[in-house]
Amino acid sequence: MKRWPLFALAAALLAYPWLVAGTDSAAFLQDTGALVLLAAIGASAWNIVGGYAGQISVGHAMFFGAGAYLPLLVYQHWQLPPLVGVPLGVAASLVIAVFIGFPTFRLVGHYFSMATIAVAELLRIVVGNWDFLGAAIGLQGPATARGWYDVIFRSAVPYYYIFLAVLALLILATWRMQQSRLGYYLGAIRAGERAARSLGVPVRRYKLYALMLSAGFTSLAGSLYALKTGFVDPDSGLGILVSVQMIITAALGGAGTLFGPLLGAAILVPLQTATNTWLGGSGSGLTYIVYGGVIVLIARFEPGGLLELWHRLLAARRRRAEVRHAA
Amino acid sequence: MLLSAEKVAKHFGSFQAVAGADLAVEEGEIVGLIGPNGAGKSTFFNCIAGDTPPTSGRILFDGIDVTAAPAETHARLGIGRTFQVPATFEDMTILDNVMVGAFLRHPQRGAARERALEVLELTGLKEQSGQRARSLGTPGRKRLEIARVLATGPRLMLLDEALAGLTPGEIQRAIELVRRIHAQGITLVIVEHIMEVILTLTRRVLVFNQGHVIASGKPQEVVNDPAVIEAYLGRGHARAARS
Amino acid sequence: MILLQVIAGGLLLGAVYALFSAGLTLIWGMMNFINFAHGEFVMLGMYAALLTVTWVGGGPGVFGFAAALALFLLGVLIYFSLIKQVMRGPMLAQILSTFGLALLLRYAAFWIFSPNFVTLPTTVLSGTVDLGGILLTVPQLVAGSVAAGLGLGMHLLLTRTAVGSELLAVAEDRNAAMLMGIRPDRMQALAWGLSAASAGIAGALMAISFPFSPAVGETFALTAFVVVTLGGFGSVPGAMLAGLIVGLIQALSAYWFGPIYKDVVVYGLFVALLWLRPQGLLGKA
Repeated sequence: MKRWPLFALAAALLAYPWLVAGTDSAAFLQDTGALVLLAAIGASAWNIVGGYAGQISVGHAMFFGAGAYLPLLVYQHWQLPPLVGVPLGVAASLVIAVFIGFPTFRLVGHYFSMATIAVAELLRIVVGNWDFLGAAIGLQGPATARGWYDVIFRSAVPYYYIFLAVLALLILATWRMQQSRLGYYLGAIRAGERAARSLGVPVRRYKLYALMLSAGFTSLAGSLYALKTGFVDPDSGLGILVSVQMIITAALGGAGTLFGPLLGAAILVPLQTATNTWLGGSGSGLTYIVYGGVIVLIARFEPGGLLELWHRLLAARRRRAEVRHAA
Repeated sequence: MLLSAEKVAKHFGSFQAVAGADLAVEEGEIVGLIGPNGAGKSTFFNCIAGDTPPTSGRILFDGIDVTAAPAETHARLGIGRTFQVPATFEDMTILDNVMVGAFLRHPQRGAARERALEVLELTGLKEQSGQRARSLGTPGRKRLEIARVLATGPRLMLLDEALAGLTPGEIQRAIELVRRIHAQGITLVIVEHIMEVILTLTRRVLVFNQGHVIASGKPQEVVNDPAVIEAYLGRGHARAARS
Repeated sequence: MILLQVIAGGLLLGAVYALFSAGLTLIWGMMNFINFAHGEFVMLGMYAALLTVTWVGGGPGVFGFAAALALFLLGVLIYFSLIKQVMRGPMLAQILSTFGLALLLRYAAFWIFSPNFVTLPTTVLSGTVDLGGILLTVPQLVAGSVAAGLGLGMHLLLTRTAVGSELLAVAEDRNAAMLMGIRPDRMQALAWGLSAASAGIAGALMAISFPFSPAVGETFALTAFVVVTLGGFGSVPGAMLAGLIVGLIQALSAYWFGPIYKDVVVYGLFVALLWLRPQGLLGKA
């Protein structure tokens, strides 16, 4: 594989806040950049279990929510720095992952999908009615920073670089996974469980590994969201649309590919910001009509997402060139 | 005794697919399972492979009871199997398909790759190793399945109609491949429709009909057994053959 | 006496759950496919009823039929334009197709009908009946008994008619059915039509007694998952029985713990089932 596109991408991502700094809407563009990276983190995390292992979770909001709620909860009740809640969120997500994965992974794929949506919905209702967790109103972080440990910045730029670092770590981890036995085994499970088993793949255990890895990183995405916005409520933390966002971002770019989620985020986040700005409050409904439509179209025509489409078009062009060459 | 299956029975509801079959395989043998369609040989085969646990009976592999063990345990102990309808990983390359198998005994990627390349050499798939599995035809897929299983380092290989649907030329090549595998010290149990294959490869066959083993012994003797002819061709033919 | 009333109400609503869940399980039984948009079909049935009442008028017979017909056609259309193709694709495509469809239908309904709750005019059907001290509303009784009748009708259609045995033949073995001269495509389209129609008419029946909005679909989809899992995947009689049980559990938990917990208890039951008895009540281990 050629190395230069990777370096170019890294350079562009590193330089982006600085490149847009001189424009009229620098703050807006920097903020949007941070949101793209956050969406890419969530989608890349979903991608581990949904893309690589082929186990379609439609309730990843529960891990995101665990990650978003716990940092703000430790602040609200005990005035602890929100950072303290980050590992707690990861731990809670791992527990939930085992709780769902253990019973459903011995069954066929649909059970897992149904269980994820049911548990996510269950958590949303319970949290929405539990005063300790802020009930319907939600939780808030510190209004002003008491020190560096509160991770509060006026500008979006520090968040941008924190998100970029986490995304880089996640992509690196995914790449390492892809190159290892775990990655091969997950690919085999996605392609055919019965055959994978016959080759000695402990299917259930590996699916659980994938879900735990995915849940941990999704929780991290939720924590980053809570640190940046300083606020979470049942809809923004645990609503079904949180899960939808992760799924569509990964699937549009290319589920089961390293950079598909980032590509999906780079397309969808600006698009969503634009529709919300232009169409006002009514725009959000329209956005989700489009989201639903896009998901259906991907499923129907291009389950591999845009990256797969791109590779196919390239291959077709090469074949045409060869034909011309031969003639 | 490498494999011994005792009184293995499998029911689906009230339907008795296998009604108490016995099989004992010595290390180094090639044993054939034959019988008409729906005779229960595939179900019996799946019980031995750990795909579906038998309703009753006992299966020992190298002295270890594997009756209720899942398929992945069978693979780890050294029982490899192919599928009647090839179940290759379509979107992976041929090399990656084989590497999945190789990872069982070689957890490191480099070692797994090396082992996979050895197997691809042996099975004659090395040239195509970079292609996706979906680009292969049926003979290629059956070969790839055999390669994948070989990469897991089995002591016993179960081949489920690995030669069905091949042209005579391809069958010859496949028979050579099976001989090469056998020469490596791997014991084989093969389910096969094609008599020619059974006659050339095996020293001993079991004939299934309606869930029962109706005959067993040397292939040449078994094919002349009236009960076997009757099972395959119906009553009239058996009488004709006898007279 | 109030407890008896709660039980009767729960069973009557449970009969409606049974009806739309039977539709979901029919699709699963035929093609191992979970329709994540099934709850949206129920929601659309409610709006189909509302539109019919507003434009045409008429009683439950008229708008119930209209909802069933509209959803039948939608089901067939969705089968031919989407499901038929994604069935051949990977699991990702199968799950995303109906999941995306659910979003599309839900937010299209938001767009068209606004997110506000609406009700059918009370003139459609009203009044209460006193059954030896147990007070039940006429809409409740009509919805429950019609749903039970239709559910039974669906079971008879599947088990006693030629069309039913062709449907089951396709469910049993697609290739064998093809050899018998049955066209699996048509049968699967019919199953999608029947499944959507059962959801549509169930929606119309519930619209008589409950206010509704475009967001209600998700709850119905999850309820149907619970019912189908409890009843054993693919079993229509199982879904019938499980529908009644879920309706009952929901009514009792709302009565004992408060209305917000009715869904919590049902979803909790689902998770418990996955741990303890994923094959359902009537299924075999």
